[in-house]
Amino acid sequence: MTATIRRLAGAFGLIGVLLVLGAVPASAAGETIGTCVFEEILHAEEEFGSLHVLEEPAHKKDLVKFEEDLEKCVEAPSPIFPELDEIIWGGAAFLILFGFMWWKGFPAVQRAMQARSDKIAADLDAAEQAKTEATTVLADHEAQLAGAKAEAAQIVEDARAQADLVAAEIQARANEEVAQMRARAAADIESARSQAVSDLRGVVADIAVGAAERVIKSNLDVDTQRALVDAYIDEVASGNA
Amino acid sequence: MNLLALEFPPVNHLFDWPSIWFEGTPYAINKTVLIYLGSVLATMLLFGLAGRQRESLVPAGVQHVAESGVNFIEESVVMQTIGPDGKKFMPFLTTMFFFILFSNITEVIPFIQFPANSRMAIPVTLALLVWVIYNFVGVRSQGLFGYLKNSLFPPGVPWPLYLIVTPIELVSTFVVRPFSLAIRLWANMVAGHLLLVTFAVLSAAMWASGGVGYGGALILSFPMLILMTGFEILVSVLQAFIFTILTAVYIGGSMHPEH
Repeated sequence: MTATIRRLAGAFGLIGVLLVLGAVPASAAGETIGTCVFEEILHAEEEFGSLHVLEEPAHKKDLVKFEEDLEKCVEAPSPIFPELDEIIWGGAAFLILFGFMWWKGFPAVQRAMQARSDKIAADLDAAEQAKTEATTVLADHEAQLAGAKAEAAQIVEDARAQADLVAAEIQARANEEVAQMRARAAADIESARSQAVSDLRGVVADIAVGAAERVIKSNLDVDTQRALVDAYIDEVASGNA
Repeated sequence: MNLLALEFPPVNHLFDWPSIWFEGTPYAINKTVLIYLGSVLATMLLFGLAGRQRESLVPAGVQHVAESGVNFIEESVVMQTIGPDGKKFMPFLTTMFFFILFSNITEVIPFIQFPANSRMAIPVTLALLVWVIYNFVGVRSQGLFGYLKNSLFPPGVPWPLYLIVTPIELVSTFVVRPFSLAIRLWANMVAGHLLLVTFAVLSAAMWASGGVGYGGALILSFPMLILMTGFEILVSVLQAFIFTILTAVYIGGSMHPEH
């Protein structure tokens, strides 16, 4: 911002100086009639020594020319007619300039402009390409991210299913173990019972033998014998309980 | 010349410069010729420097001036008047624009202060060159018969009007155009130079008179002189543009009569 202001101030300053400088000596381009006449007289005096010489018949032609020169000071020849020397120099100058511009100047500037234009177009293309590539990469990354998310969800789902499976398996195994334990317990019970029965049989046999001994010792009828046996059994059972 | 008590230089002394070298020959060199040569050098220098290859993306300095000029001629002159076909005239039109511009702008350059185009030589030479070019282009594009027919009998005009239009077009296209082109440029530069000299002489005379004259010079004539100097910068550029765009219009008209 400061640099811009400085540049603007410099530009206005330069323009101001040019305007003032340009304005001041504008009148130096011309001369007055007086100075023109004075210069012609000085010129004639330098050439002839004195103006009176021109009055001599021998200098009649010089006098005519001097008078014509003086008249030119007040005459204004039509400025609309071009001078031949200016046409020749001006025309030649323009043709030389046109030749230079055709051959070198214009094509060089046009090449520089074209090169800049091409560079800008190439930079824009490169930027567009980079943008397209970036969009593609972004889309790839997004697709990868979406895939990773789906994969993670699948993994979680699989893990959950696996966990459920394991849980079910553990549950089944536990149930089976429980069943086995139950079966074993039942077998144990059965075995204990069998053992108990076996033991009981042994005891019963002993009792029977004992009861038989008693029966044999006393002659009893069937009912009395049955009653004796039952009583004996109850006695044994209550004793085992 | 004494005008209202002011000693004003004769008009021919404001424009007619004495020869510096080769006096009395057809190739005499005076101030006007030096300005022409200076304009050639300035244009060559501008385009020579601007044409050097640079890597900078944003042009600056002379490169910016030359490229802006070329761009201006292309977009505002050629494309507006001739169209894409006119690009082959770009070097000619660009040369013409800068040559006229530099020959005009010397009007306000300190210590030169004379517009070379206030002399008739270059305006009339360029105008005749333009006349030759647009007629050549017309004949080449449409054939001699077609060019004359389209120039003298503009299409779309009811035939009875040709009695009036054809003589007007004949004089306008083949006679008046080069002179109007030359006189427009020349007269504008003459008028500008006269204005500047008038206010400069007035300022000098008022200042020299002392007393009230100091105030008059400082308040009236000198500010006007500065104002006119700025105005003449505008006129210099504008006249170069007008001469160039009219050239392009004439060439475009010869190439595309339907426009």
